[in-house]
Amino acid sequence: MGLLTDPSVGHGALTSIFVRHHNRFCILMYIVSVVLFCMLAHYSLSSQTYFSENALLPGLVKGQLNDNTGSSFRDHFRELNAEAQHYETETPHAYLISKFKNLRLETYSHNFTLNYPLKKNTKYTGRNVYGILRAPRSASIESIVLSVPYRAPSSVFPSTLPGLAVMFQIAQFFRQQIYWAKDIIFLVTEHEQLGMQAWLEAYHGTSCGSPGVLDSGKLSGRAGAIQAAINLEIHSDKIGHIDIKLSGLNGQLPNLDLVNLAHRLCNKESVKHTFNNVDGGAIGRNKVNSYYTNLSTMMSMVMTQATGVPDGNHGLFHRFGIEAITLEGYEKEGRGIYSSVFQIGRVIEGMFRSLNNLLERFHQSFFFYLLPSTDRYVSIGLYMPCLVLLVGALFLKAFSTWIQHSSEHKSGDPSAQATIPERLNVGMVSVIILGSHVVGLILLPNLAPAYFTHFWNHIPTHRALLLGYGSLSITSVCLLPIIMNKCLNSFKSSNWVLLHVICLLELGIGLLCVSMHNFSLGYLTALVYVLPAVCIKSSQNRIIVKLLWLIVHPMCSLFWITAYITFTTYPELPISDFLTKILEASSQWMVLSTIDNMIYGNWAFSVGVLLLLPVWTSFWCLMFLPTNVSQKLKAE
Amino acid sequence: MNAKCLGFLFVFIGPAYSETYSEELFIKPLATGYVYSFFQFTVIREDDSFKHSTLFPHSLGDIIDRFHVAELNVDLTSGLWRHKSWGYPAVDAPSGAEISARFHNDTQDVDKNWYGLTNALSGLLCTSLNFINSANSYESSSDRVYRYSNLPRENVCTENLTPWKKLLPCDSTRGLSSLLNSGRVHNANYHSLGIHFRPLCLAGKCKYELRQTVSLVYDSVFISFNNNYDWSLRKMFGTGLFKTCPLADYSKIYLDTSSNSSVPYLISQEPDYMLKNNIAVYNLNGIFHLSAIVPRPKIVVSELRPLLYTDRFITGFGQEYGGLVTRIYNDHKSSIIATVIENIPWFLPIYYHTLKVTSNGVRVTPKALIYKPGKGRVRIYYLEIVLELAPRSVTEISVQFDYVFLKWQEYPPDANHGFYIGSAIVKATIPRHATSLTFDKSLIVDNLNSTGSDYLICLKTENFIITLPTPDFSMPYNVICLACTVVALAFGPIHNITTKRLKLTTAKYVPGLASVAQKLYVWLENIFWSKKKNKTGKAAVVKVFVPEELSYHPTLGHVSEEFMKDKVDYIAS
Repeated sequence: MGLLTDPSVGHGALTSIFVRHHNRFCILMYIVSVVLFCMLAHYSLSSQTYFSENALLPGLVKGQLNDNTGSSFRDHFRELNAEAQHYETETPHAYLISKFKNLRLETYSHNFTLNYPLKKNTKYTGRNVYGILRAPRSASIESIVLSVPYRAPSSVFPSTLPGLAVMFQIAQFFRQQIYWAKDIIFLVTEHEQLGMQAWLEAYHGTSCGSPGVLDSGKLSGRAGAIQAAINLEIHSDKIGHIDIKLSGLNGQLPNLDLVNLAHRLCNKESVKHTFNNVDGGAIGRNKVNSYYTNLSTMMSMVMTQATGVPDGNHGLFHRFGIEAITLEGYEKEGRGIYSSVFQIGRVIEGMFRSLNNLLERFHQSFFFYLLPSTDRYVSIGLYMPCLVLLVGALFLKAFSTWIQHSSEHKSGDPSAQATIPERLNVGMVSVIILGSHVVGLILLPNLAPAYFTHFWNHIPTHRALLLGYGSLSITSVCLLPIIMNKCLNSFKSSNWVLLHVICLLELGIGLLCVSMHNFSLGYLTALVYVLPAVCIKSSQNRIIVKLLWLIVHPMCSLFWITAYITFTTYPELPISDFLTKILEASSQWMVLSTIDNMIYGNWAFSVGVLLLLPVWTSFWCLMFLPTNVSQKLKAE
Repeated sequence: MNAKCLGFLFVFIGPAYSETYSEELFIKPLATGYVYSFFQFTVIREDDSFKHSTLFPHSLGDIIDRFHVAELNVDLTSGLWRHKSWGYPAVDAPSGAEISARFHNDTQDVDKNWYGLTNALSGLLCTSLNFINSANSYESSSDRVYRYSNLPRENVCTENLTPWKKLLPCDSTRGLSSLLNSGRVHNANYHSLGIHFRPLCLAGKCKYELRQTVSLVYDSVFISFNNNYDWSLRKMFGTGLFKTCPLADYSKIYLDTSSNSSVPYLISQEPDYMLKNNIAVYNLNGIFHLSAIVPRPKIVVSELRPLLYTDRFITGFGQEYGGLVTRIYNDHKSSIIATVIENIPWFLPIYYHTLKVTSNGVRVTPKALIYKPGKGRVRIYYLEIVLELAPRSVTEISVQFDYVFLKWQEYPPDANHGFYIGSAIVKATIPRHATSLTFDKSLIVDNLNSTGSDYLICLKTENFIITLPTPDFSMPYNVICLACTVVALAFGPIHNITTKRLKLTTAKYVPGLASVAQKLYVWLENIFWSKKKNKTGKAAVVKVFVPEELSYHPTLGHVSEEFMKDKVDYIAS
């Protein structure tokens, strides 16, 4: 058992095999990782979901929500529609406040202001309205949130008015029940995610984005620690299916128990429920899920999660340790059986009564998972090895490069007794690494974009950003080879193994860190970058490798992704329109991403400029650094 | 018959000191659709040696006597008093259990008496007051013999109500206490049981007063079934009044009809007389029932707009940094002097330098400030601030704190529920007319008739829970497995190093995976080609070093080159 003390580790025969064939091993690991990942969707690797938290007791009670007491759903809906028609673009705050007050809820409104970060003196204001049902059985120490984003008739998104009417109906029913042990907050937000973010920041008295961007205002009514939240987007009073959305900011997911709860209760009320709009079947019904539907569902989840942008207002809760999901009800198209709003209402009632039972906050079950279907999950223990294999390839490459170098040096002429720092060019390497990271820091969303928009203030923001980042990238790509070749001639007799190893290790560790938070983003990035990174050698890279590396430049990757999405959305566009569309789309994506970063603290953009760009630049330098090997060959 | 005789005997040979007992109920329907009812059972006696008593509960008198208690307040509350929609209560009690006591000035060891008192009361009232220790109680900054503590986590239930009722002279069989049915009491939105003992001294002559109080708030949604604000004794308490308590000198119901101006309503009984125009008084003698028909107003009143109210919450998220904010709203047109007492448990160490007091966003300096830093597991963080609240202002006191890792045995069984932080106390003097019912005189009727202009109120803020860093308690098994593996892996080499002496020997090849294959190959080669080869197989295994490999040895690793040279020379020779 010489695990800790045997100094010969790293020099054994097994090691030498790895060192000799490391490229083959890397490729093998890559392929195994991809295959394993695709296998995850299979029945044998995913498992049946279950409730880990016994206190939830879902489905133990019969839903009692009905139309018998007070105003009916129709009344609420008609009234709301009439009110909404008066305000084409605004929210009828006064109506909402009086409505909540009439339901005898403690009613408050909340003002917030957005100082648009990319343009000076541009402000947007908004106002949320919320009512708190004070639980008769507790002292307001815990609460549950039911939220609906208000959408004016002019909004581009589908209407949420039926959902709001359902909320009124539910609030009216809940107010008459004595069993509540947690306060219930009924929240109507404005301006989609912005309103929600402002409300959450005000509730917790903090600011998550860049300072001074979102002025979240103050709340005068609170209800203790929020245990869970449900966001409701019901588009019609005749619902075809309910889609349950999970993906949160930066790829955070809600506790699997909450997700299961929603699916289980939909099942109980015989509401058709889907995940990413794919029906996973249900207990007692025929399973429609084949391997391919499972795989595509899982892939769509990975794609949604990788963006780091929440796919509903629920996604902003996760940061605050609040488990939240969105129930989106799609209109039933055509004829056939539809679900009534009462079924939906009873699903929500069931969920709230289950959450009311909770004694502790959600801490059991999974927080990291992939869902190939509504009732199956892949746990972190199964999907993480896929990424570990990819990162392992990088580490193996770094390891073997280092070992090769050290053995080469020993077997080389022992007369050249250069000290280690000189031999490895520690000074120059650290300059390159530091320089590339400093550039990355400067390009962070809260520094560079403001200068770009200030510099090109006569053109639209998104073009200014594209111009800024694009010109910087092109300059660096073109200039670096020249600088490396011409200015560093004095370093002719050196090799750059240290730089190579550091780049590989940084990429590997960075990917691991990213995937600890957002597996999907980490894995997809690894899929793109690991293969080219493994192909690069410490010296004498062929032109094809350089080209390959150029293709995966972060900006280029952005273009490829937008190109793919544009192509799938508009396949019939002519090539010139197609190109302009890609440029427009990717520049707009950049603007959105910077703004997301500054308001919500989304770090997708930061990962790009703080991890990928520096690593890419360092590798790019490595490829053009002068080496002595070429001279040797020439001499021979 | 015997018992009756004995009773008579007691009455005749009992002490000369007189004891009086009165029962009162104050009902206040609120414009917001709630009904506040306040029961008060008062015993006043002239003697403080509780050796014998007829009306004063003997069990409590014994405790008071034994622990030298001069003044005692115990409140057991479930629910939160909502000042905004309910106005002010007669006794403001925070959710959970609250106890404060003042001992006689000559008491030697106050702490010992304090713990003795809380333990005795916990037995008397079936509460967890025995959990009071130095880490959750404090002494007043000015008063050596005063102690205060609250237990925000305490659940108040039937088991507290029953022993509480046992302290009453008529128990729960007769009189107003027969209205207190546990099922109904615990269906209220707020209920608070109180025991208040104090001396009333006037010109050197002292009387001793014990008041047992119950505050109940019912929501009309749950007591009227027709969406109106109707209420009645039967709907609230499940029963009417049948017999009065014969021991009571005084037995009355007061009905505050001031909300009648906003919502006119009908009362089933004509009052015996009116007090100050808006308080209907009913003398109780026999069967009594009271009900009111209150229509729901067209415009729902959602707030009563009290002059002074508070708001308290935690800021921040995650388990790194947090902040504690107490807001005091002053809606009065003149400024009010208020004292804020924060008692923060030791597991939330606060940073005193972050203490910030702002009034309408402008930083102000408090008039006085007392801060006693806490100490882990021993003492709370005590902060007392005297402030002048500007007219119509919002004053905000904020302080930052850290989350502390607890020892694993300090977590409660439901560790993920969170840890309770008790309420802060805000004391201020406000005009008497702004409060609904004051509590400074002995009887409700005296309080209602009182003419003083100012009144000291004591507001208790809400409790809240915070999530301290909580380990995954299902984890220990995994941790044990992991730790054992690591120990097992480390044990071998460490044992080897420490117990064995290192000694150089000739190189012995340690077979790896590749070398096994190689050996196999050699072995097979030997078998098949054995006849052709010399029998020097074993000697051939000894490796001959090439100069390039010198600094490195397959098993010994990096060894100095001189040593290797010696070794090679030795082998070569």
